[in-house]
This record gives sequence, C-alpha cells and structure tokens, in this order.
Amino acid sequence: MELQDIYYNKAEYVETASGNKVSRQTVLCGSQNIVLSGKVIVQSDAIIRGDLANVRAGRYCIISKHAVIRPPFKKFSKGVAFFPLHMGDHVFVGEHSVVSAAVVGSYVYIGRNCVIGRRCVLKDCCVIEDNTVLPPETVVPSFTRYGGSPGVCNGEVPECMQELMLEYTRNYYQHFLPAK
Amino acid sequence: MSFLLQPEIVRYQCTCGSLKPISRIYFCRHCLKIRCGYCVCHEVSSIRCINQTIFLFGSYLALKLMCGDFVQADSHYCGNCLENLPSAEARLKKNRCAACLDCPSCLNTVSTRSTNVAAQNPDDPSKTVTRKAYYLACGFCRWTSRDAGLPDQTVATGGWPERENVHAARLSSLLEHYKILALRERQEKERKKFIPRRSYLHFSDKFGLTAVMARKRAGLPPLGGVGLKDDAGTIPELNPSEAVEEVDSLPADIYTEPVSLSQVTTLAQRLAQPEFQTELVSDLFPAHKHLMIKRSQRCRSCEHNVSKPEFNPGSIKFKIQLAAYYHVPEIRIVTCEPLQVDKQGELIIKLCNPTQHQTTVHFLPLSSADDDLEETEKETENKIKMEEKDAQKTSQGRDDVSILLPSLSRQMYISEDPRPVNVKLTGEVILPSLPVVLPPRDDAAEYDDSGDTYHFQDDPKVVVWRKANKAAVKMVVIPLHSAVEAGEVLVGFVMKYTYVNTMATLEQKEPQKVDLKVKVYINVGKTVGSCN
Repeated sequence: MELQDIYYNKAEYVETASGNKVSRQTVLCGSQNIVLSGKVIVQSDAIIRGDLANVRAGRYCIISKHAVIRPPFKKFSKGVAFFPLHMGDHVFVGEHSVVSAAVVGSYVYIGRNCVIGRRCVLKDCCVIEDNTVLPPETVVPSFTRYGGSPGVCNGEVPECMQELMLEYTRNYYQHFLPAK
Repeated sequence: MSFLLQPEIVRYQCTCGSLKPISRIYFCRHCLKIRCGYCVCHEVSSIRCINQTIFLFGSYLALKLMCGDFVQADSHYCGNCLENLPSAEARLKKNRCAACLDCPSCLNTVSTRSTNVAAQNPDDPSKTVTRKAYYLACGFCRWTSRDAGLPDQTVATGGWPERENVHAARLSSLLEHYKILALRERQEKERKKFIPRRSYLHFSDKFGLTAVMARKRAGLPPLGGVGLKDDAGTIPELNPSEAVEEVDSLPADIYTEPVSLSQVTTLAQRLAQPEFQTELVSDLFPAHKHLMIKRSQRCRSCEHNVSKPEFNPGSIKFKIQLAAYYHVPEIRIVTCEPLQVDKQGELIIKLCNPTQHQTTVHFLPLSSADDDLEETEKETENKIKMEEKDAQKTSQGRDDVSILLPSLSRQMYISEDPRPVNVKLTGEVILPSLPVVLPPRDDAAEYDDSGDTYHFQDDPKVVVWRKANKAAVKMVVIPLHSAVEAGEVLVGFVMKYTYVNTMATLEQKEPQKVDLKVKVYINVGKTVGSCN
C-alpha cells in the first residue's frame, strides 16, 4: 500500500537547510546537544532530551508524535551518569514510544506505544512491534522481530529489510508535505 | 513497508504455488524462477560438508577453496552477546550460549549485578573487608538469583551452577544406543549399493562347478564384506523402560495446605524448561540462552545460493542476495475508488523497477497465462525426467560413484510439483492493453533537481504519472457478488516483464533479454454500499 500524503501546517514546522523538518510544538531540551543529520522529521509533541546527554539522529529518521527520545543513564556507586544516544539512518519511531536505548542501528522500525528500556542496543535491520516493552539492557540482533512484554524474539525480518526501510523513510519524507 | 503496515495486500505466486508478498520471495538468477521460503534449501550447518570434502578430494587446493566457502555459510550466534560459535561447538553446548542466561520467570535475558559485601578478614577476624559479589537480576520482573537460593559469585561471568537432569544417565545411554544403530544402518545401506558382482559364483552353475566350489568353500568365512568390516561396534544393551504398577501417593499436606497460585509456576515457565518443569516459583533456575542462526538459502533446482549472509552476526550485508525485491517489479496500491458490486471502480497501482535495466511490463488476464505456463512447466518437467532417465542409464552399474562422493549424494534436493493456488477471485479486472515501460533505477536521481524529463509516449488513460523508475498505472475493478460474502475484493492478473539476464553462462556471454511472467493477486479492499 502506497503511503498517503501527510499534510502539516506550514507555520508549525521549521525546515532547516539540510532538510530537517521539526515541529515547533516539541520539547527539545539542550538543543545544542541534539544533532539531526538531515531530512529528519520530528513531529509535534515529541520530546528529545538533549540536556541529559548528546542525541544524534542519522539521515531520514522519523520521530512521530508524542515520542520521547531520552538518553540512558547508568547507576554507579556515586550517583548516575547519562550516556549519549545514537540513532542510525532510516529509523522510524512510532507514536507514543519512549526510546532510552544506548544505540539504535540503521534501518530500524520501532512501532507505536513501545518502551525501549535504558541502555538497550538495537542492531541494524530489526523491528520492534507495537506495544512492546524492552527491559533495560536488552540486545536486539539484526533481522529479528521483537514483540510482547517483556519483548522477546518472535520472528524474523525479510532479508531485504534494508531496502524496505530506505524506501519507507524516503517515501514518508516525500509524502510529508505542507498544507496548501 | 508492505510487510509491516499492510501485510499481504499484493501477493506474488511463487513457482511452488504459494502466495507471498514480494519481500518474502527470492528470484533465482540462474533458473529465472521465483522461489520462496518453502521451496529453497535452508542451510546452517556445514561442518560435515567440510569433513567430507577433505575425504573426497584430498587435494589441498580443493580443501582450501571448499573450507573458505563452506565455513562462512555457517553461523550460530548468541542474540545477546553476539558471539558466534562453530556448529560443532554449538551442538556440543546444545545450541545454547555459555555466558548468557534467561530469566526463568519472564524469559527475558538476565543481567549481572554487583554488590559489596562485608566479609571477615581471614588474617584478622576482628576486621572486615569488603569484596565484590555478583548475582543475577532480571530488569523486567525483578527476579534475582538470590530468589532461587543461588549463592552469589565472586567472578562476574560464568561459574553459575548447572542443574543436572535427573534422567541424564538414561538419556545419554539412549542417545548412545541410537547413534550406533544409525551408524550401522547407514553402513548397511552403503554396502547394499556396493555389493553386486563381487564373486563370480553365479557363473559356476553354467559350467557345472557348483559341487566343486561348494566343497572348496566349506569352512571358509562368508563371502563379501572383506573390505567393509563392522567397525560400528556392538550395540550396547538397553533395558526398555518398564511401567510401574504403584505410583507414589500424594503428600499428605496437599489436602490440608491452601493452594497459593502465586507460588506455582505458569505453563509458559514450565514449557520454557521442558526438561525440568519446575512446580514451584522458588525452584526456578536460570536457563542458558538459545543460540540464533544466520542461514543461507539455496535454490532447490539449480543449487545456487539465493541468499547468503556474511559470517559476522553484527553485519547486515550479504554475499549473495537474490531477493525478488531487487529483481521483480514491485506493485503497490496507490488508491482505489469505493468498490461497489457490479460497478466499475478505478484502481491505481504503482509499479517500481528495481533493476539497472529498462523493463516493459505487460498485463495479461490470469486464465490465458494459465495454459501456457502449465505447458512450459510440463515441458521442463518432462525434460528433467528424460535427463534423469539418461543419467540413470549411464550410471547403472556405476553406483560406486555415489559412494565415493557421499557429500554429493547426501544433499538430496527434493523438488515438488507446484501446488494449485487455492484462492477464489471475488472481482474482475479490466487490464490496460498497452505495455508500460519503466526506466532503470538510478540511485542518483534523488539528488537530481533538474526535474523529470521522459520521452515515453504514454497513454494518459493508462499511465497516471511517472517519477524516475516508478509509474502509476490505472486499471478497472468490478467486484463480484461473492465479494460481499468474502468480505474483500480479490483480483488477479499476470504481469509479464522483460528481465535482462546478466549471468554469463558457457553458452551465452552477452546479457540476455527474457520475458518472464508472474501471477499477482491483489486484495483491493472491502465493498461499500453493496446492499442496494
């Protein structure tokens, strides 16, 4: 099924020179620590906590409405420390999902209402189904599909996942248009 | 993203007859056929292949080549620590990771936690020293190894006690027994192939030598089997299990104690460890994590790989990747007008050419293609059968070849006849009569702002719009009455596309243009307003 055009209010979104489209209705804390590499869409009511640690998102990342991107912390004997959060290229984060992973690889699809626990590692080409809760420090290998609560491997992803995600995120960006 | 958001809307028919979305099928470039997960050979373990190739060729060069090729096809790895093991080691460890453990309560991976514990100084009992102690904790359900009564460890990794299965001795003796049995059976089978014409006794009748021979043979060991001695050893004695008349009676407190369900393990917890099936939550024991595999897939008819991942579990690259997504034009629904029974609705599909060559797409009705497809299939089948017969004729009496080359004869590729597609079409489709030409894929087109200029003479009734290697095509759908019952309108057609075969074979070095056909089934959607 081809994606339908998604129209946004032109006044609401800021488009940068590198093609990032960021809604004004978002909470971007510590914006000097947030790097969006280009053609990234951050939709309304998303939260990116750059004040805790660096957040880096690769090209063609889509952060849907009400999603929370929050660098993970680790407890030490003397207090806590926050670690940077790296997201690869062509990553989709669904609505109302909370991502507190250490690394999100490229070509990753995270569904709606997911909780990605702190310091999780999501390798390239994996799928997190809707309503999944990944406990802290979970590793999701490539070409697997995780779902449920706690998230466990419940299937595999086709070998052409890389191409599918490339196509999907590019398509999404092309169909994300200002309302006339 | 068809596989994720809208699964199975557009399905392609595989050569074996099953219907799959395009992301799940392969395209074998050697036999130019579509293959799916059901009709390819899945391969993981190849260590045995190596052993046999060593035995087979004996030559260093061949060995090197084969090892390089085979070892890498094989990869068992742990999904948590991403360490990969050779298949022999994986088998030895029962396909479980030595380091990573699963929580027995919620089946999530447990992590190691460290605490400081005060311990008495062995030199000076009055003083205490703090040292690190490690225990396992589940980040999801808060189960800890202390719940199971496991003592804390002094080292961070490993060292956790293993629980022994009560039936381990019996299981291993059974295993031993059947291993030897299997070995012996295999030897017998191989010997059967080998046996004909060892002695020339059957000639003796002709020349009246029977009596002489019989006298001479008396007292000698039986004929045959000189070279093939029984080296399988004797089969160890095995006591068959016996049913017991009397069963232990239930403990007395089962009638008096109230059942606390929170103390009893769930079915999922028990099935996760079928060898123990612990009854009480307090007895749950962490289990080693199952290994995952990377597997290569091979076309069954031509034995070429259609998918071969890289060895490294962290890598997403492929050495060979013949997914249909890269070779067969993709079809997607763009829009469809509301579907009413017996009324014409407009369906717009998007075609995408993933190859580096221009392709022409024709649309044909299903019925017309059925006949010629079947014919060609029958022809090829007959050809194969004839070839097989010839091969059998020439190899008769030369069975020894297959014994000398066990690895070649071992891998039997079973090819099945294609099954008929068991779907009921609930709509008719009026297809565009003109072919659609799709330009080759150009990865740089994304960065090209010069605008699209095309020189295709498109009929606006067929092609709605074009963009790079994509085109939107219009067709008409008429839902049938049966669509109301079925709840969805299913239409089908044959897509004929030109494919440029760049595989160089002995006969043809130049790329070849071929016309290929694939049956496509589209689930257009539900009907509306069908009552009136």
